[in-house]
Amino acid sequence: MMQERVSRHFDPVLAAGAIALAGYGGLLIYSASLSSYPDGIVSLDHPVLKQALLGILGIGLMLLIMMTDYRVFGRAAPALYGLGLLLLVAVLFIGDESLGSRRWISFAGVQVQASELAKLFTIVALARYIADRPLEIRRLRHFLATLVMGMVPAALVMLEPDMGTAIIFGSIWLVMALMGGVRPYYVGVLVALLVLSIPLVSAAALSDYQRERLTLFFNPNLDPLGGGFNILQAEIGIGSGGLFGKGLFQGTQTQLDFLQTATTDYIFSVLGEELGLAGAVLLLGLYILVIFRCLRAASLSYDLFGRLVATGVAIMLLVQVFINVGVNVRLLPVTGIPLPFISQGGSSLVMTFMALGLVQSVLLRRRPFEP
Amino acid sequence: MATTTRRRWRSPRPRRRDEPAPVAGRWGFMALRALALVLMAILVGQLVRLQIVEGQRFREMATINALREIQVPVSRGLIYDRGGRPLVYNEASFDAALVPADIPRGQEGRVFAELSAIIGTPPQEIEALWRQAQGTQSPYDPLIVKQGLTREQALALREREPDVPGIRLLVRTAREYVDGPALAHVIGYMGPISSEELQSLDGQGYHLNDWLGKAGVEATYESILRGTPGRIMVEVDAAGRHRRVVAERPGQDGASLLLTVDLDLQRKLYEALSAQVPPGEVAAAALMDVRSGGVLALVSLPSFDPNVFSDPARRSQAAALLDAPGKPLLNHALGELYPPLDTFKPIVAAAALQEGVIRADTVIRNQAGYLLVSHPLDPGAVPDVIFDPRPLGDTDLNKALAQGSNVFFAQVAGGTPGGPLRGLGEARLASYARAFGLGMATGIDLPAEARGLVPDARWKEQTLGEAWRPGDTYRFGIGQSYLSATPMQVLVATAAIANGGRVLKPHLVREVRSPDGRVLDQVEATGRSQVGIAAEYLAAVRNALARAVDEGVAKSAAVRGLRVAGVTAAGEAGHVWFAGFAPADQPLVALVVYMGHGTADKAGTVAAQVLDYMFNQTNIGQALQEGRR
Repeated sequence: MMQERVSRHFDPVLAAGAIALAGYGGLLIYSASLSSYPDGIVSLDHPVLKQALLGILGIGLMLLIMMTDYRVFGRAAPALYGLGLLLLVAVLFIGDESLGSRRWISFAGVQVQASELAKLFTIVALARYIADRPLEIRRLRHFLATLVMGMVPAALVMLEPDMGTAIIFGSIWLVMALMGGVRPYYVGVLVALLVLSIPLVSAAALSDYQRERLTLFFNPNLDPLGGGFNILQAEIGIGSGGLFGKGLFQGTQTQLDFLQTATTDYIFSVLGEELGLAGAVLLLGLYILVIFRCLRAASLSYDLFGRLVATGVAIMLLVQVFINVGVNVRLLPVTGIPLPFISQGGSSLVMTFMALGLVQSVLLRRRPFEP
Repeated sequence: MATTTRRRWRSPRPRRRDEPAPVAGRWGFMALRALALVLMAILVGQLVRLQIVEGQRFREMATINALREIQVPVSRGLIYDRGGRPLVYNEASFDAALVPADIPRGQEGRVFAELSAIIGTPPQEIEALWRQAQGTQSPYDPLIVKQGLTREQALALREREPDVPGIRLLVRTAREYVDGPALAHVIGYMGPISSEELQSLDGQGYHLNDWLGKAGVEATYESILRGTPGRIMVEVDAAGRHRRVVAERPGQDGASLLLTVDLDLQRKLYEALSAQVPPGEVAAAALMDVRSGGVLALVSLPSFDPNVFSDPARRSQAAALLDAPGKPLLNHALGELYPPLDTFKPIVAAAALQEGVIRADTVIRNQAGYLLVSHPLDPGAVPDVIFDPRPLGDTDLNKALAQGSNVFFAQVAGGTPGGPLRGLGEARLASYARAFGLGMATGIDLPAEARGLVPDARWKEQTLGEAWRPGDTYRFGIGQSYLSATPMQVLVATAAIANGGRVLKPHLVREVRSPDGRVLDQVEATGRSQVGIAAEYLAAVRNALARAVDEGVAKSAAVRGLRVAGVTAAGEAGHVWFAGFAPADQPLVALVVYMGHGTADKAGTVAAQVLDYMFNQTNIGQALQEGRR
């Protein structure tokens, strides 16, 4: 029975797109770490090897989740959501600090980025809450309830501070709420209030660290060898790539360490420099493919819960890609968001594969009874 | 479990399971797909702007980022005396520097501490220097923190260089001068390039921390001695570490100079002159080959040790030289002007013979031993008085030169008051003075040469706003008045009398040799002009000058076994001279000695000692004779 469902409804395009992206990422991580590991992969601590192992773990978890009925996660949603919040609170107190913010929590020797798991759990929880109230969701009470569900984790990651992830939480909530049927009128009023409060927020709520990043975004030349360094070097790297790039492993900005965090937040600059516009368009095309397949899964879903989960995953990927690449090409202020499937870092990779496992699970169960 | 909740948005009426998704959902997905495409299109648009539209600019910036040009020092050309003896050596000198751009943000303190531990300069001082340099120089230019490191410090620095980003060991060629004080004004010294020099030498590849010749032949022949520094283009990483050499242009070591100066003769002249002059007093002397203009020795006192400029530890000594008594950094042989006095009389004599003002046997009668020159337009004014040391009675040219008669030459210049002799007059005096090279730079290959002054009526009118007086002409005739010259100019004029009328351009370098010893350039005798005086008249003057040494006032310059010709002079307000040549009948060298104070005999003694050394004690003179140079 299950075998039949798998062969009938499993989306090989989605899976292949994801694995292609992860492979692309491995190549770029290899290039970006050449200056630290000039001899290539000779030892087990090479970042590409670690990334590959985590990728295999991610694919395994993806298959495991795919075989599980997604509604199981719906049932567990309150618990998962609670766990997500717990992690986000815990990271503020016992998290490992890096580059001025606490994002990682050490768990049996493994560093986990709390917000990555919380994102997935929040998608599931929001989907469950809305799906349970298909009609009542139009009421203000439930609109506000979903808003709180989305904003609490957003506020917690804001404290780390991690503005980028907070924006992702907000975007996930916004799209899921609209797709779930809240009255657009409420959303409109909320957006209007937010816009009006921007000056207040920027003055009061932004930490010095965030304000500095914003200032540097608008004028990185203020401090070319300091904080503005990375912004400028990323722009130079990408710009100098031209149409086809300088060739894999040939980018001077990458290989001579002008790019910092080249394997993580700024890995898109490696791509832009070494493979040029062509390589970047290929990457964005792969993302479009994966996102569209997720939306397809959502539209084919048997129930509202499945539809909302798949939509949430799609929008999470879309916003994350847009913010990360937007920062790299200097459209957006600096904020550390990993590029899904590409950036070095296990939490993001494993979680993204898990999210696609959920989407596949929704697809496999799109018909309650197989003819 | 979720099977009971169905996709229902507008109507409370329950729907059947297999009904299609609601319209709003379909529109929602359309909107989401559109949103995804729009966001990606925005990113692609920005990528096109960066990579295609502005791609060229960013490519250039990436190149500037990654490539750095580094100068590879070449060794500076050496300087040898005419016999090939080295006068200077190259020594490596080590400086500690910081490259501010390579110091990682926030690690300044660590870098300063590391550097401090190696070179001993307190970290606060290093930081102060670093702060000072911010905004005033490019962060990529090395900022010198300490010069003249010991070998141990240099080794320690080289060892730590790869691990401490931003610290740099600079290796520079420093000069070590043999016989520093004796040769100071010939060879000169080197110093760090000034910002004005950096600007005026723009395009010749000089850099902020370069050194260049500041005085002497080190300065004149800077471009030859320096060679062409090599350049390598290296790829650097963000920490400034060199990754690989991208391009290399080998440099060319500087060419060496073979001077006309003879080291032994130079030392002798320096010793002989120093012995006659109290410390701190001004004096200068030079010997020149009258056939070629090659300078055999050149001394200026007070002198200094040019090695103080090479050694950063002795910087205070170098600074003290700037206002030391007697201006030791000034080359008094050509940088300062003095009245030539009696050394001008041979020129007046030759000019008067040539112009027919006197003949060799013309006798001028003067029993009083002085000459009164009244002012024609103002007879009541106090007349000018021109004295002889003692009354000479009947005087002809030989006697006049031999006894240093002022009265005779004043009349040759200005005419006998109320008498038959019509003098040369100021215009002809000036024109002959210029013909002998006075009033213009000799063109010697040393920097900072003074031009001197040959006065005439027009000059006085224009400069002083006064009319030329007859008294001016008389004084002009005895080398006073406004006439002023450098010892080098007097030497050139004396050489012209000795060599039959050729005014030469004196020079210090006879050969330029490539680092592998090939002769690149040879300096031949460079005549500037002829004085325009018949050979017989010059011979008559030479003869008179020889008699001045034989039996006249210049007896102090006499040398056993060598006939010397010349005049001595001693002004009332100082200015002591000897100008002459030897051997008198077949001149080989001309010689000038100048002292700020003293007696004429002292100048003559210096000349005698040096010529004795040259012709009797050594075979320098003989070698010169045979070498034809």
